[in-house]
Order: sequence, then C-alpha cells, then structure tokens
Amino acid sequence: MKPDKTPLILGILAVALALVYFLPLQIYVRHILILTLLYAFLGTGWNLMCGYAGRLSLGHSAFVAVGAYTSLLLFANFGITPWIGMLAGGVFAVIVMLLIAYPSFRFGVKGPYFTLGSIALAEIVHNLLIYFREYTGGSLGMSLPYQPTSLALFQFDGKEPYYIIILVFWLAAVFLTWKMERTRYYLEAIREDDDAAAALGISVNKNLIIAACISAFLVAIGGTFYVQYYRYIDPYSIAGFTLSLNIALVVVIGGSGTILGPTIGSFLIIPITEILRMSLGASMPGLHLFLYGILLILCIIFLPKGITSIPGIMRAKKAKKDNQLNQGAEGVL
Amino acid sequence: MDLVLQIIISGLLLGGIYALISIGLNIIFGVIKIVNLAHGDFLMMAMYAAFFLFTLKGIDPFVGVFIIFPAFVLLGVFIFRVMIKPLLGTAETEVNTIIATAGLGFVLQNLALMLWKSDIRAMETSMTGQSYEFFGIMLSSGRTWAFIVCLIVALLLYYVLMYTKIGTHIRAVSQDTDAATLMGINVDKIYTLTFAIGIGLVGVAGAIIAPTYNMYPTIGLYFNTMAFIIVVLGGLGSFTGALIGGLIIGLVEAFAGVLASAELAQVFSLLIFLVILFIRPEGIMGKGARV
Repeated sequence: MKPDKTPLILGILAVALALVYFLPLQIYVRHILILTLLYAFLGTGWNLMCGYAGRLSLGHSAFVAVGAYTSLLLFANFGITPWIGMLAGGVFAVIVMLLIAYPSFRFGVKGPYFTLGSIALAEIVHNLLIYFREYTGGSLGMSLPYQPTSLALFQFDGKEPYYIIILVFWLAAVFLTWKMERTRYYLEAIREDDDAAAALGISVNKNLIIAACISAFLVAIGGTFYVQYYRYIDPYSIAGFTLSLNIALVVVIGGSGTILGPTIGSFLIIPITEILRMSLGASMPGLHLFLYGILLILCIIFLPKGITSIPGIMRAKKAKKDNQLNQGAEGVL
Repeated sequence: MDLVLQIIISGLLLGGIYALISIGLNIIFGVIKIVNLAHGDFLMMAMYAAFFLFTLKGIDPFVGVFIIFPAFVLLGVFIFRVMIKPLLGTAETEVNTIIATAGLGFVLQNLALMLWKSDIRAMETSMTGQSYEFFGIMLSSGRTWAFIVCLIVALLLYYVLMYTKIGTHIRAVSQDTDAATLMGINVDKIYTLTFAIGIGLVGVAGAIIAPTYNMYPTIGLYFNTMAFIIVVLGGLGSFTGALIGGLIIGLVEAFAGVLASAELAQVFSLLIFLVILFIRPEGIMGKGARV
C-alpha cells in the first residue's frame, strides 16, 4: 500500500493559506477568500454525510439556519457569547439531524427519496422561521447587535480575524474527514459498497448516523460563522434552496466522497461566482447566475465524477495507451 | 356545515391544479427514473408564455395551451438530447441528473429575471375574479376550469398510455428497460418522447394556472416543492397516485390555511410527506418498493 500523502498536501495547503493572511490584499479579495473557505468548510461538512453515504442532501441549509439562528437568538436575547451559541446551535442541529437521519437510515430511504426528504426538511425550517416572526423577524430577517471588536463576542471590525477563524475551522473539518475515512468509521468502505461493508460486520447504519451528526454539527457552526461575518440573516438566504444547492454543488463539482474535493470545488466555483457577480451583477441582474448555471451543467456533463477524478482519468488513458503499445510490441515479436 | 363544504370543494379544486402540475414530473420519473428539479421553473416559463400570448396577442391562456404544449414538447426534446442523455447510464446518473436539472432551474429563473425583471405580474382574463355559485358554494372560475382541464389531460394521458402502441412501449420501458430493448423497443426514442411529453404537460399546467396566480421568476420553487410532495405521496411514477396526492394536499392546505396560517399549512403538508416517505416510500398508490 502506498503511503497516504493527504497530511502532507493538507499541511502545505494550510501553510500557504496562512501565509496569504500576511499579503496586503484588497478587502474585496479577502472577502472572496473568506467566502471560499466558508463554502469549503460547509462542503466538507456536507461531504462527510452525503459524499460518503451516497445520499444526496439538498436540504443542508436547514442546519446552517439552525446554527445561525440559535447563536444569534441566544446572543440577541440573553447576551450569550456566540462561541457558546455556536456549540449550542451545533447540538441543536445534531438533534434535528437525528430526527431525520435515524428514520431514513433505519427504513432505508435512499436515492431521490432521500433528496426530496432533505428538501422538505429545509422547507419546514424555512416556513417555521417565517411563522415565528415575533422571535425571528420573519421574512424581514434579523441583524446581529453591533459590538466593537471583541474576540470574546466573535465580532471584529476588520476582515482578517474572520479569515483566520474560518481557516482554522476548515482545517479542522478536513482533518476530521481524513481521520474518519481512515479509522474506525470505515467511511471509505461504506462509500465503495455499503452492502459489502455490512457483510464484513461494519455497522453501516451506526457509522452513517455518526457521520451525519458530525456533518450537521459542522454545517451549523458554519451558520454561526455566517451570521457573525455578515451580521444579518433572513430565511431566504440562510434556509433557502439556493444555499443548500450551492453547498452540494461545491462538493459534486470538486469530487464527492474525497477529502479535498469540497475544497477544490469551492476554490474553483466561489471565486468565479463572485467575480461574475461583481462584473455583471449590477449591469444586468441575473446574468451572472445564468452563466453560473450553464457552467455547472457543463461541469456535470463533462466531469461527472468531479475535478478530483481528473488524475484518475489521465492515468486510465495513459494505461490504455501503454497497453496498446505493449500489445503492438507483442504482435511484432 | 356550509363552511366545511366550501373548504372541501376549494381544497379539491386546488388539489386538481396541483395534480395537473405534478403529472409531467411523475411521468418523467416513472419512466426515465430521473428527478427533474427544474420542473417548477418550466412551469414558470409556461406561465410567462401564457401571459405574453395574452397581453401581446390577446390569446386566452385556454387557447394558448395549443401553442404552448407543442413548443414545450420541442423544448423537452432539446433539453433531453443536450443535457439529460449524456448523463444517463453511469453510476452517478442519479446524483448528476438532480444536480444538472437544479442547474437548469437556475438558468431558467435567471433567464426570466434578465428578460422580465423581478416584477410581480398578474393577468386579467375574462375569468379573473369571477366565480360560479353552485348550491350556495362559490367556485372560483379559473380554478374550476383548471380542474376540468386536469381531468381531461389525465383521461387523455391514461388513454394514450393504456390503449395505444406508443403507450404500451412507454409502459414496457418503465417496467424493464432491458426486456423492452430485447423486444425491439428503441429505449432512447421512448425516453426522449417521455421527457418531451412531461415538459409539454408542465407547459399545459403553467398556461392553465397563469390566470389564477401571480407570476415572478422564482415562483417555480414554490410549485416545485408542492409537486414533489404530491408525486411522492401518491407514489413516484404512479399516475392515479398523483391525482390522489394532489387532492390530499389540496384538502390539507385548504383546511390548515383556514384554521392556521399559510406557513403552517405548508409545514403540515411537508410533515405528512416526511412521514409517508419513512413508512411507505413507494407512496400510497405505488406498487411495491421502487428504491
């Protein structure tokens, strides 16, 4: 077995991204980097459940929303620091995930049925947020009460601290995925063939539920980060279908069920979307998302297994070519 | 008592509209086994098409249907050939068709936004605001006619599927693709045809509901969720199921809408949907497990 190069690649990547912190970047570039890392983080969380379990969730915005609203409500009403609110939101998201994941794994809800169920979950959260408008502000959304820069309250005036925080979050999530894939949760085996894994005595359901809960926890933390960074949330942006779809897309385009797929996907998609938005958004509303949709369809058609599959495809092509050469040589002999 | 009856009748009419909206989605899933997440956005496009036929050319949506249906059939053929067909037959088909159709939904929504802005539009046809009184019960005329069209479309489709050669082919492909291929059926052709009919039927639905709903570029998202709930409730791929699912959701929404609020009405439908999904994923009318 060849040695796993993942920690090395991860280390280099993390150091490189940490060095970026010291570059004199424009605010706007820094914003794109933060957003990219946020999506890489959310995607990594999504991937832990969906990429490995082969179940496509298009409702993960439900957990983002649970995380964001929990920490925001705790802070706005009781003055509890978002750092604790973040953990509370994570726990709350895990409970919501258990409510849906346990029955769906137990009853073997798979394929499109699982996807539709996940969409329904996000819709329920979305509708409830609007319904409880006395507390959540309904469709109008909620703002984060402003505080001057304070690490204890997770609020900063500049963008730099947010960059470091999301970088740490992202690194932790990717490292966790690597650990879970390699060790006792057998995610790799489950991804390849869950029936075979079950036959080998791996408790597929238990491991999947654990992965699902960690996934919900991470994504909810992303929700808290979102509200601390943007300082404003509303049900459409944070519990809407578009966010769910974007999280899934980043992973599918990058390569689902791989450790760095979500990160690669995010670094490709998010800057493109943001640059399209900046250059075209004002002159013609909708054009940038129109182009984005087309780009996405093209990606899916031409790279159905995501960007991380490119080296594999190249190797296969080379092997085929070598094979043909060898056969040719045999023919001559 | 009268109020209850009024709610039931309104619920049934609403259910008819929902059923009409879901038929196209259902037939595509039943035969090709793919989920078309752009379904609601096709509906939105058809609503705009009906709107412009009416405001620019003075063609009533109930006549405009005969223009919109063939146009959407052609659109369906194009989309299937260009986007869906390359994705079929791989291990990732299921995930990738969902993602690709979601991307298509994005494209359609933003196309609408670019072309027609985010303004909310409504059309005033001879039916707007009209209603019939029937033994003391008020029937909105737009919804009544939509219900009637739904029944006609359902009967026509039933006839085509059960009593024509092409219908037999479609059913054969939906039951067993390999066996159908061995029997000399051109599966590729049947897939294209089914997708085209499915999109055509969404076109019909969009034109018919255009006079009774306000339209804006993202209205598809609302109907999308509704259509999926109904189709899964009735059984993905089951045709009578779509009708029954539509009626159930129509009734639930009508009652919950009166007793609680619009948001809670949707939460109720969604919860019913989730419960059915867990205890009977094949749907109320579905035959055996389809997963």
